[in-house]
Amino acid sequence: MERYDIAIIGTGPAGLEAAITGTIRNKKVLLVGSKNLSMKLTKAHEIQNYLGFPAVKGEDLAKAFQKHLDQLGIGITEERISAVYAMGDYYAMQAGEQMLEATTVILATGVVQGKPLPGEEENLGHGVSYCATCDAALVRGKRVAVVGYSAREEAEAAFLSEICPEVLYFPMYRDVNQLPEKVTVIPETVNEVRKQAGKMTIYTSENSYTAEAVFVLREAVAPGQLVPGLETEGAHVRVNRRMETNLPGCYACGDLTGTPYQYIKAAGEGNIAALSAVGYLDQKKHRE
Amino acid sequence: MVKKINGQEFQTEAKAADVAVVDFNATWCGPCKMLAPILEAVSEEMAGQVSFYALDVDDNPDVAAEYRVQSIPCLVLMKKGQFVDQSIGFKPQPAISAWVKGNL
Repeated sequence: MERYDIAIIGTGPAGLEAAITGTIRNKKVLLVGSKNLSMKLTKAHEIQNYLGFPAVKGEDLAKAFQKHLDQLGIGITEERISAVYAMGDYYAMQAGEQMLEATTVILATGVVQGKPLPGEEENLGHGVSYCATCDAALVRGKRVAVVGYSAREEAEAAFLSEICPEVLYFPMYRDVNQLPEKVTVIPETVNEVRKQAGKMTIYTSENSYTAEAVFVLREAVAPGQLVPGLETEGAHVRVNRRMETNLPGCYACGDLTGTPYQYIKAAGEGNIAALSAVGYLDQKKHRE
Repeated sequence: MVKKINGQEFQTEAKAADVAVVDFNATWCGPCKMLAPILEAVSEEMAGQVSFYALDVDDNPDVAAEYRVQSIPCLVLMKKGQFVDQSIGFKPQPAISAWVKGNL
């Protein structure tokens, strides 16, 4: 399998600057994110303090960023990374069915909005799961619930309905698509999940429901969940001034490392993260 | 070495070991696959002190149910057949290693 020098997850200012710096330093870079770059960036009405771009619209700054990428021939891989595994001397990233490999990883995913549901974290692995494909066999033939935060999760509910007689689907968004017959769509907001007498109870604003297991599936996973073993502080990743996390070869930058949530600060941190990764790669090469 | 066992060997072998770590896994589980080489490395590190086993939950649903395994990968640490602790999900090698040592 092809192993990249640096994998960068996220295409906001932090991730893009990291990709640019890594590429200039002749490293084999994998940039994973969205071809639309970042919603936070493109939706910004006006940015007043980005050096060289006085009073720029987010859209226009994004265009300038894209031009910069094009000039260096940097492409964006549109994948959703569901997990990053620290394997010792490299990182393995789960992208759908596929596994990608890189020697170093730079996390630039932005900050995850939203807190876990009450009862979610306490029951993780004991009634609450974040991965339908992982834990499906353990709930075979049982009634399960899925709390889906985006239309993307409908596929997971459909998958579960192939092995479970009943799937309760709680969409936490609007406009649900057609789902298989065995999936019951319940358009109510989930407030809490609790374990009672060995089963899970799901409390919505209107009712309560029971199921053997609850799958909580979010668009953006919390950093500690994305990278098992990563040290976090609330919604942020703990880093030092070199943007190093507690895992050797893993860096974080941008909003993910904490406030201030500023575009130029994110880009600056992306630069540092990439240079730290370059230093790590060079040192590693030296040792070998 | 991590020895692949079935439900019967779980009862006779894993439960008889002074200290055993049993990896409940399945062939289709991504994190399980990634954890396997890490567990192999930890087993080398602790050879002679701790016995390591791997058990497929699809082939042995009864054992998985007995230990209330609801999410995999799940490592169960036992001393002479007595449940001591469990660790759910993928963790890097130093964390797995520290978890085993902390339970010795």
